[in-house]
Amino acid sequence: MNAAPFQVKSRIVNDVAVIYPKGYLNNLSGEGLVSECGRYIETGIKKIIVNFSETDLINSIGISLLLHVMEELQTTGGTLCFTDMDKVQLGIFDMLGLTKYFRFFQDEKGALQFLGGSAE
Amino acid sequence: MELKRALFNISSLADLGEEITSEKNFREKLRSLLYVVMGTFLASKGAITCQDRTGKKIMFAARKGFEKLSLEDIDFEFVREAEKNEPYHAENDAALRAAGVEIITPLWVRSEFIGTIMLSNKFTREPYTREDFEILKVIAQQIAITLNNRALFINLTEQLGDNRKLYEEMRKIYHDTLQAFAAAIDAKDVYTRHHSQRVAKYSAVIARELGWSDHDIEGIYVAGFLHDVGKLVISNDILNKRTPFTQKEMEEVKKHSLLSYKIISHIKFPWKDVENIVKHHHERPDGTGYPDALSQSDLSEGAKILALADSFDAMTSKRAYRDKMGLKEALSELNRCLNKQFDDKIMLAFCRVLDKEIKGELPEPNILPHLDKNSDLSVITALLEGLIEELSGNGED
Ligand SMILES: [Fe+2]
Repeated sequence: MNAAPFQVKSRIVNDVAVIYPKGYLNNLSGEGLVSECGRYIETGIKKIIVNFSETDLINSIGISLLLHVMEELQTTGGTLCFTDMDKVQLGIFDMLGLTKYFRFFQDEKGALQFLGGSAE
Repeated sequence: MELKRALFNISSLADLGEEITSEKNFREKLRSLLYVVMGTFLASKGAITCQDRTGKKIMFAARKGFEKLSLEDIDFEFVREAEKNEPYHAENDAALRAAGVEIITPLWVRSEFIGTIMLSNKFTREPYTREDFEILKVIAQQIAITLNNRALFINLTEQLGDNRKLYEEMRKIYHDTLQAFAAAIDAKDVYTRHHSQRVAKYSAVIARELGWSDHDIEGIYVAGFLHDVGKLVISNDILNKRTPFTQKEMEEVKKHSLLSYKIISHIKFPWKDVENIVKHHHERPDGTGYPDALSQSDLSEGAKILALADSFDAMTSKRAYRDKMGLKEALSELNRCLNKQFDDKIMLAFCRVLDKEIKGELPEPNILPHLDKNSDLSVITALLEGLIEELSGNGED
């Protein structure tokens, strides 16, 4: 029942890393998202956008993985943006008091504009 | 907010159950379980420790963060003296504090110390609440059993090389977790204690009589457990009233099946249709049920089973404003409401199971033990036999 295999793709727009997790963020394969972000952070990137348009589900495992990303960026003084997140999911993050650790944008374009990377 | 929090906690328990019953290798399973725990409480660091095979040393079974933590420095004698499976603040152990461990939970199965769950403070810096501790306790019990089964399993496979038994035990644990949740629902409404458990059992035996597969039976069992979960969001004052509901209160109470549906439709179950069976447990073949006023042809067999099991248990249990009905009266009442409220085919299956249970033809009775001990079983058997004949004569069988 763990459905489609989880995949992560990413690209760089100026000094912003945009991460595209795809599939269910509900099992150990989600660690790929943490290591992808970690790789960029190691190279000095401080602005990360995670685009959730192809993520269907985030369970407690996924939340735990995202906490790592938030923490890593917090210690390096970086900025984390989430985009295209499902409303229910965003509501859960809000209820958990996590929304102050990332900025939410409807879409990637808005996040890129905010971070000063150009949208395309 | 309360609904969202309840939803999140149930989902976490469901995640836990899913991981416990998964067929991953053991190390991965434990790492996943640790992530579930950390995600549930927003802890940025965490570890699960367990005894090694000699039972003399404690080692890490899974760990995220806590790099500076050396298990040799920890006073496990002190940990063993704490309440079993009860989380507590690790303020008295300097080694734990220095490594950033905030909460420690000693894991026990019966009289055996299994290990611990250690958590850092929350990423959000909010304190752990009493509710967190209660949920962590349920989780701890499940993880303790998982670790313990693994130890038993290693001994077992050395002789048998068969993991079927382990897998069966794991499934049981998943049910235990759901059961813990059902208990929370039933606890809220003092007059329906154990109602969810009984409805689950009754539904499962009816489905079995109707020839459902083991997998589908498990699904309706879970639907039975969770059918009233929406009541968590309905005021206690209404649910525990000692007088019959007013029109307005009735409308409030009627919302629960849709609320249950909304809550559990967010959980990914390994069984199909659990959420729809739950949603429609107050629908009726005559089209006057709720929330969708479905007609006979739109009702799934699962929903019809759950509806009958639910009503039968309601009739045979005491309520705040009325006494319970005897078995004979309850059966007559079900029969009187056939076609309007209940389905013939389901009723027939139910009568057959009960008849078999009374006659001792089933390996284990599931309905009988919960019923009035004073019923004259010969009268009941005669009544059941009559009903069975009448219902199977309808060409339904
Ligand atoms: Fe109900």
